[in-house]
Amino acid sequence: MTTRSSRSRIALALGAGALALAACAPSSSSGGDGGGDGTTLTVWSWRVEDKAAYEKIFDVYEKAHPGVTVDFKPFKATEYNKILATGLAGKDGPDVPQVRSYGQLQGTVASGSLVPLDGKVDLSSWDENVVASAKGKTDGKLYSVPLARQATVLFYNKKLFSDNGIQVPTTWDQFIAANDTFLKKGITPLAVGAKDDWTLPIVHEVLAGSRFGGTDFQKAVTTGQKDFTDPDFVASVEVLKQLEKYMPKSVTGVAVTDAMTLFTSGKAAMYPGGSYDLATLQKGNPDLEVGVMQVPPPSGAPSGATGTTAGWADGNFAVNSKSPHQEAATELVQWMATPEFGQLVADEVKQISAVPGVTYSDPVLKQVADDYDKTGSPYLLLTDFRYGSPTGTDLLGKGAQELFLGSKDAKTVSTELNTGVMTWFKPTS
Amino acid sequence: MSVVSAGIGTADEPAVDADPTLAGSGGTGSGPRPPRRGATRGRATPVGGRTASVLLWVYAAFALVPLLLMLSSSFRSNGDLISNPLGAPWPLSFDAYREAWTTGNFATYFGNSLLVTLGAVVLSTTVSTMAAYALARGRSRIFRWLESLFLSGLMLPIHLAILPIFYLFDGVGLVDSRMGLALLYGASGVPFSIFVLTTFFRQLPEELEEAATLDGASPWQTFWRIMVPLVRPALATVAVFRFVPIWNDFLFPLVLLRDDSKYTLPVGLTQFFGENATNYSAVFAGLVITTLPLIALFLVATRQIVAGLTAGMSK
Amino acid sequence: MNRRTGLLFVTPALALFGVFVLYPMVTAFSYAFYEWQGTARGGWAGLENFSALLTRAPFTTDLPRALLHNVLFFVGTMLVQNTIGLTVAFLLHRRARTRRALQTLYAMPYLVSPIVIGYLWTLLLSPTFGPVNTLLTKVGLESWALPWLGDPDTALWVVILVSVWQWIGFPVLLYGAALGGVPEELSEAARVDGASNLQTFRRVTLPLLVPAIGTVSVLTFIFAMEAFALPYAFGGSTGNPAGSTDFISLLFYRTAFDSGAPDAIGTSSALATLLFVVIFGGAYAATAVLRRHEKRITS
Repeated sequence: MTTRSSRSRIALALGAGALALAACAPSSSSGGDGGGDGTTLTVWSWRVEDKAAYEKIFDVYEKAHPGVTVDFKPFKATEYNKILATGLAGKDGPDVPQVRSYGQLQGTVASGSLVPLDGKVDLSSWDENVVASAKGKTDGKLYSVPLARQATVLFYNKKLFSDNGIQVPTTWDQFIAANDTFLKKGITPLAVGAKDDWTLPIVHEVLAGSRFGGTDFQKAVTTGQKDFTDPDFVASVEVLKQLEKYMPKSVTGVAVTDAMTLFTSGKAAMYPGGSYDLATLQKGNPDLEVGVMQVPPPSGAPSGATGTTAGWADGNFAVNSKSPHQEAATELVQWMATPEFGQLVADEVKQISAVPGVTYSDPVLKQVADDYDKTGSPYLLLTDFRYGSPTGTDLLGKGAQELFLGSKDAKTVSTELNTGVMTWFKPTS
Repeated sequence: MSVVSAGIGTADEPAVDADPTLAGSGGTGSGPRPPRRGATRGRATPVGGRTASVLLWVYAAFALVPLLLMLSSSFRSNGDLISNPLGAPWPLSFDAYREAWTTGNFATYFGNSLLVTLGAVVLSTTVSTMAAYALARGRSRIFRWLESLFLSGLMLPIHLAILPIFYLFDGVGLVDSRMGLALLYGASGVPFSIFVLTTFFRQLPEELEEAATLDGASPWQTFWRIMVPLVRPALATVAVFRFVPIWNDFLFPLVLLRDDSKYTLPVGLTQFFGENATNYSAVFAGLVITTLPLIALFLVATRQIVAGLTAGMSK
Repeated sequence: MNRRTGLLFVTPALALFGVFVLYPMVTAFSYAFYEWQGTARGGWAGLENFSALLTRAPFTTDLPRALLHNVLFFVGTMLVQNTIGLTVAFLLHRRARTRRALQTLYAMPYLVSPIVIGYLWTLLLSPTFGPVNTLLTKVGLESWALPWLGDPDTALWVVILVSVWQWIGFPVLLYGAALGGVPEELSEAARVDGASNLQTFRRVTLPLLVPAIGTVSVLTFIFAMEAFALPYAFGGSTGNPAGSTDFISLLFYRTAFDSGAPDAIGTSSALATLLFVVIFGGAYAATAVLRRHEKRITS
C-alpha cells in the first residue's frame, strides 16, 4: 500500500510543490493577513526538545514571506493536552496548534476549534494511513496536515553485536540464538521498560507484529471478519511472554528511561521503541553506534509474513478557527505539506516526514523510512482503536503488564482487549 | 483549659535558644502564664534517652538521603551519571550548573515565583485573618453558616475545576497575568487559612477584647493591635504551609501563563526538563537551583514558627 | 463584635473565595449535567453523565478500583503517619537543644516538589540501578529485593510510604505544638503517682491530643481523596503498573484530557462532582464526631 515507484514520487513532489506555489500566489496579493503588514503567527507544539530545529525551519519560511513572523512555542509533552484544550477554547490561543492524531484528534474536532482544510491542502497522493490521522471521524473532513510518520523500530548496538560475533538475525531461530548469546554474556538482550504501560503496545508491535500479520490483520479486524481473540493475535501476545526472560529482571518495575539508559550505556543489546526515540538515544550517548532491524517473523506466523515496521502519523499541524490570522495561518499549514518543509523536518527535526518523496541523510532514519515503505503496516491499536474509550493501546498496555506479572495469560489479555474495544468499535463492512 | 492548647505550655527552655529577645521579654510577659518555668526546668528529661536520640537522627538521615542524592548527582558529569547513576560526586564538576544557569532562565523564573507566591500568601493570610477573627467572635447564625461555607472550600478539589477557571480568566482578561495567578492561589488558600486561624482565635480569652473595648478601642484597633500579635505563630504556620504548595505548583501556571518571561520556576523547570531530557546532570542542577531558595526561606521561617509556637503568648 | 462589623471583616475573604474558588467549582459541577461535544456545550443531560460512570467501560472497572485506592491511601497514611508522627513528637518533646534542628530536617522533603520526589524515589527503588535493592541483597535479604514500583502488591504501599515520608514534618510539628499545650502539672502529677513515661503518655497526654489528631485526620482524609501529584509522578496518568496506583484524580485527568472522547468534559465533571460528594460526606461526618468530642473535653 505504501510502495511507490520513484517516478511517481517525483511527480508527487512536483505536484505538491506546484500546489504550494499556487497557494502562495493569491494570498500575497490579497493584502490583509498574508501581506507585509507584520503578522505574527503563533505555533504551539509539545516538542520542547525540537525548539531550535523548528526555529531554523521557520526562519526559512519567514525569509520567503516578508512580514510574517512565526513564533514557535513548545510546551511539556505530558501536559500538552490540557494546555491545548484550554488554549483553543480561549481568546489568545495559537494560530497554528500542533494537534493529536487519529482518535485523540476527535475531541478537538468536535469542539469546532479547527478550520477544515479540504480544498486548501491536497493530500490525495499521501499514504492513506497517514492522512486518516488528520481527519474527523464523523464528517470525514481534513483538519490538519500530518508532520511525521512514526515507526516502531528495534534498535541495536552495532558494537555489541560485532564484539560478540552476532549477525543481524534474519530468522526467528537466529533472533532467539542472539538473545541467548547475550544472556550468557551477562548483557541484557532486550531493554524493555514495562513500568510505563504506554510503551508496551509498541514493544508488542516491534517484537510480534508479524506474528498476527500486520496489514492483513488490520483489514480483517476493521471489517469485522476477525477480532482480537483470533489465535494469531493471542499467539502474538504470547510472544511477549516468551521473550520476557530476555528483558531486564522484574521488567514491570523498569521505567522506560531506565531501559534507554541500559541501552545507551551498553548494558543492553537491543531496544524496541519508536523512530522518535532516535534523537534521544543519540543524544544520550553520542558515541553509540545505533543500528535498526526488523524482527524476523516468529515461528507460526501467518504464511508469507515478513518482518514489519508498524507506523502511524503524529505531530499534525492545524489552523485554529478562532485565529485572527486565519489566512496567513492556512498559508503556513499549506507550506507544511510541501517537500521543502518535509525535507527540513527530515534534516533538522530528524523525523520521517509525512510528505512523500523526502530523502534522509541520517542512515538510521533512511533505513527506517525504507523499511516502512517496503513492509510497513499500521500501528493498529493506535490508528484504529483510539476512537473510543477504553482505547486499544491502554488495554493492551495494562494487559501486557499483567501478562509479565503472571496474573493473566495471553488469551485473557486478548479477550479483555477485545471486550473493551468492542464496547464502542463499529466495523466498516 | 482551651487557652492552654494555643501553645503556651512549653515556654520553659526553648525560648532561650530560639531567640534571645524572647527570653528577655518572656520574664516580663503580661500573659496569663503560670509561674512554673524554674520548677520544671531541671526535671524534664528527654523521653527515651540516648536510644531515642539515635533513632531520631537516623530518621533525619532517612529524610535527607534522597535530597542529598539530588545534590550529589548535580555535581557529576552526565556520562558518569548514566554509567553509574549512584556513584560518588568526586571530583566535583560544576559544568551542570554552568549549563543550567546559562540555558535555563532561572533568575527570571525565580523572580516570578517569588512575586506570585508572596502576593498570594500575603493576600490570603490578610483576608483570612480578618475573616477568621470575625468568625471566631461573631455570635450571629450567619457566621456559623459562613464558616461552614469556607470550610467546605477545604474539600473542593480545585484543580479539577481547571476548565471553568480558564474560561473565567479568559473572560476577564487574566490569562497570562501573574496577578491573576496570585489571586487564584490567594483564593484557594482562604479555606485552609481560615480553618487554622479560627481555631487559634477561639482559644484566646475574650477578656482581652472586653478590656480593650472598655478602654475605647475600635473593633479594628482591637483586632490589629491586640489580636493579630497574639496569633502571630499561627500566621507564620499558615503562611509557610501555603507558601510551599504554591511555590511547587505547576498545573495552573502551565495552563494560565503564556509568555516565557512570566513563567514561574516549576513551569520553567518542566521546560528545562524537556530541552534536557537526557542531560540528567543538568536536570539535577536545575532541581537544586529551584529547591535551594525554598529551603533557605524555610530555615528562616521555621525559626519563626518554632519560636512562635513555643513562645506562644509570652509577648 | 456586632454582626455588621463582623460581616465587614469577612467580606474581602468571601469575595476572593467566591469569585476564584466557589464560582469555578460550581460551574465545574454544573458541567456534569450537560451534553458535550469537545469544549462545546450541548443540551441538558440530566444524570446521563453520572450513569455513564456506573455503566460504561472503562469506568465500571477503573472507578471502583481508584476509589478503593484513595481509601487505602487514607487508611495507610493515617496508620503510618500518626504512629511515626506521635512517637517522634513525643520523643522530641523535651529535647530543647535538638528539637528545632530535627523538626526542620523532618520537614525538608515537604519542600521538594512531588514531581521531583517521584523522580528521585523511582531512581532509588529501580530494580536495575536502585541502591535500595543493592543494599538489601548485600545484607543477605535478597528475597526482600522486590521490584517495589513494578509489583501491584507493593506499588501502592510505596506511594503511601513516600507520601508519609514527604509530609511527616506536618504532623510532627502539629503534635509537637499540641504536646506543648498539655499542662506539665498533669504529667507531673501522674509521675508523682508512680506512672511511667509511657503510662503517662497513654493515660494523660494522648486524650488531650485528640483534637489535634482529629484535625490531622480530617486534613489527611481530604488530602488522600485529592491525591494526584505524587501518584502521577510515580505511575503516570494510568496508575502503573496495571492500574495499581490509580486514583480518582488521575482518572479525572485521563478522562478529561487524554481520552479524546467528545463527551470528555461531561463525564470528567461528573467524576469531579462525585469526588466532592465523597470528600464532603467523609469530612462532614468526621468533623461532626470531632466537634462532639471537643465539646466534651473542653466544657
